[in-house]
Amino acid sequence: VASGGGVAVPSPAAMEAAELQVGFVGAGRMAGGLARGLLRAGKVPAGSILASAPSDKNLDAWRESGCRTTHCNLEVLQESTLVFLATKPHVLPGVLQEIRPAVGPHHIIVSLVAGVTLQTLQRVLPAGTKVLRLMPNLPCVVQAGAMVFARGSGVGDNEATLLKSLLSSCGLCEEIPESYINIHTGLSGSGVAYVYLFAEALAEGAVKMGMPGSLASRIAAQTLLGAAKMMLETGEHPAKLRGDVCTPGGTTIHALHQLEKGALRATVMSAVEAATNRARDMAED
Amino acid sequence: AGVLAAHKITASSPDTDLPTVSGLRKMGVNFTVSNKDTVKSSDVLFLAVKPPIIPFILEEVGPDIEARHIVVSCAAGVTISSIEKKLSAFCPTPKVIRCMTNTPVIVREGATVYATGTHADVEDGKLLEQLMASVGFCTEVEEDLIDAVTGLSGSGPAYAFTALDALADGGVKMGLPRRLAVRLGAQALLGAAKMLLESEQHPGQLKDNVCSPGGATIHALHFLESGGFRSLLINAVEASCIRTRELQHVADQEKISPAAIKKTLLDKVKLESPSLSVASASKVSLFTSKSSSS
Repeated sequence: VASGGGVAVPSPAAMEAAELQVGFVGAGRMAGGLARGLLRAGKVPAGSILASAPSDKNLDAWRESGCRTTHCNLEVLQESTLVFLATKPHVLPGVLQEIRPAVGPHHIIVSLVAGVTLQTLQRVLPAGTKVLRLMPNLPCVVQAGAMVFARGSGVGDNEATLLKSLLSSCGLCEEIPESYINIHTGLSGSGVAYVYLFAEALAEGAVKMGMPGSLASRIAAQTLLGAAKMMLETGEHPAKLRGDVCTPGGTTIHALHQLEKGALRATVMSAVEAATNRARDMAED
Repeated sequence: AGVLAAHKITASSPDTDLPTVSGLRKMGVNFTVSNKDTVKSSDVLFLAVKPPIIPFILEEVGPDIEARHIVVSCAAGVTISSIEKKLSAFCPTPKVIRCMTNTPVIVREGATVYATGTHADVEDGKLLEQLMASVGFCTEVEEDLIDAVTGLSGSGPAYAFTALDALADGGVKMGLPRRLAVRLGAQALLGAAKMLLESEQHPGQLKDNVCSPGGATIHALHFLESGGFRSLLINAVEASCIRTRELQHVADQEKISPAAIKKTLLDKVKLESPSLSVASASKVSLFTSKSSSS
């Protein structure tokens, strides 16, 4: 199958990731995060990345990283095999109409657009187009992201495996049923903000007790990082890990009692619930 | 539990009208109104009176304590040293064990801990452990943990009964007949406790195992967490433990108001222990007698 530029594009399954041409329609924060993650992991050379955006405002940073940029969405489809759709939701319908003529069976279209279902995407794009939906989170930028993706009806195991292997360079990447995507938003998309809030509060507690703020902040962050790392590496239940830290009558159990008194657990559950519900509501808009 | 034949057990109480008295009698236990008789016919002596009464009892039975006796106090908050101090007026090396148990010993699912005193041997502790293990779980601990045990498993059955009552209310609210609701609630707690005791897994993991994503249980748990369920339980254990320590402090001061003891018992004690002197109305000091030099 020849692309508009006259370059023969082999099937994705046969391609090494390094030969893959990756495109981004929309060059905002999330797209930038993903691209930066891919680049830092060395999975895709900057020259293989092409991003489009209406203005240069966002594109400068991409060029600085060595990526190619354009103002023409169609060009991204023509030059790339793996195409990330990363526009704002209200812009997407117009963009889909625009790129539709250039979409072919060799493309792998991955939508990052919040609230737009696979059903919608498949309805607008040519029948049989390989479409996936991806919900990343911001720490993809530092290769510690949490990403979930759901595959559309035209997608086979090869494409799913390719995407997963590519994105694993940015953090944790799991395939899920589409219905989990909103939950992932509540848990991890927005969840990153909950953690920042908690870190800020930890540091503030330390400041109250006499520690300088910037030191407290760095230690707070490292504490969260270390605890998370232990969870991921030991695979042990967090309740068990929590117990391991609690010497009888010691400092930790006293502190935990304060957290329980404040019903922290319930509040966090409510936060995840609220964000998930909002994601669901917004999707129906 | 078949560990001891009924006729080898003697129990005494000044008040023979108590329902427990007839229960004990029916079991074939020897019953007497004389504490002294109980001591004389026993090797292992369980002091099962309320904490403020302990000093009185010790004063009363002290002269009859011999080297062979193992004195086991089940009184919340009463320290080994306070008992030893009292008894050493009568016996140079009294064997004292302090224990904390709980009411489910009745159904042989008790939770008991014990700490051995200065003169109690390893075998004495093991004897008690053997007795108490026949009615549930029993283990030795350092004495300074016993107040915490009181807060947790001593008072624990009361927390469970409260929970069960409320669970049953929940069941009734949603349409279950009361009897069935109580039965099912109790069985659910019994089953959960058994699972935990038999499992290597953390209770948090066991909880997760019950919570299907988006299901009924996780919705219910959210309510529990919102109400601060966990912190309430932590508060309860803490409050009970602290109160136990307060009681110990009161007992240690060895001052007790006459209002704390029934007049009949006070009179009886005065009768049997002429060496005990009773001060004026506001407080009774126990140790004005010759024995206070210990």
